[in-house]
Amino acid sequence: MAAAQPRPSALGGKRSRAAEAGAMEAAGGEERFLLAQRLKAAVHYTVGCLCEEVAEERDVQFSKQTIAAITEITFRQCETFAKDLEVFARHAKRSTVTIEDVKLLARRSSSLLRYITEKSEELALSNMEQKEKKKKSNAVKERRTGEHEAAVTESEDFNMA
Amino acid sequence: MAAAQPRPQATRASGGGAASAMEREARAGGFRKETVDRLLRLHFRDGRTRVNGDAQLLMAEMLKVFVRAEAAARAARQAHAEDLEKVDVEHVEKVLPQLLLDF
Repeated sequence: MAAAQPRPSALGGKRSRAAEAGAMEAAGGEERFLLAQRLKAAVHYTVGCLCEEVAEERDVQFSKQTIAAITEITFRQCETFAKDLEVFARHAKRSTVTIEDVKLLARRSSSLLRYITEKSEELALSNMEQKEKKKKSNAVKERRTGEHEAAVTESEDFNMA
Repeated sequence: MAAAQPRPQATRASGGGAASAMEREARAGGFRKETVDRLLRLHFRDGRTRVNGDAQLLMAEMLKVFVRAEAAARAARQAHAEDLEKVDVEHVEKVLPQLLLDF
């Protein structure tokens, strides 16, 4: 999702283009601000849900200001995360952030790193399972002759290996 | 754009085989990966930087840990240590420095 779509300038001349760019930046800035507000509201909602869970578990109550404070902290932390992730990806000469970058982010706390590594392995596993399902269903679709049996046995062997 | 996610009432679709286990978990009180993606892209310096799907899910997990297991839990522990049942901003303030250092 782009912050501001560059519009082709109908007017000629450098000055008018520069003015338009300046106006677009201002509009982009306001757009960005509104987007940030909406995102913060979404974060606030989720933080509220999560705090509710913790409140139940630990038999405590979270004041509204506390939830607001945690929202603010989380929102700001996202900025740090985003910048770090971008730098990591660029360091690896990529423009797409991957799991490896996220793992690097978790390096400071060993327990966090362990947790994130576990989750990434779960993800990899479920991705593989989905690929297997796709393969199977494709194999079934393509071979409707007697070869069908052979295809199914083949994929079964793969699973057992 | 939906700012708030619908409160999940665990409506498990047939077998749930399509959705990954982590997505299901995320729905049970967690960050939507679209929200996470937008949050991150808001702060990228380069407009071309993207986040791949798996990384989005993992970041959602990380944020969930940040909020639930660290920020909220530490503040609750602090309040508890002070023999209080209500967690207030001052408790968050007390745990904030270590929280940020650990992350």
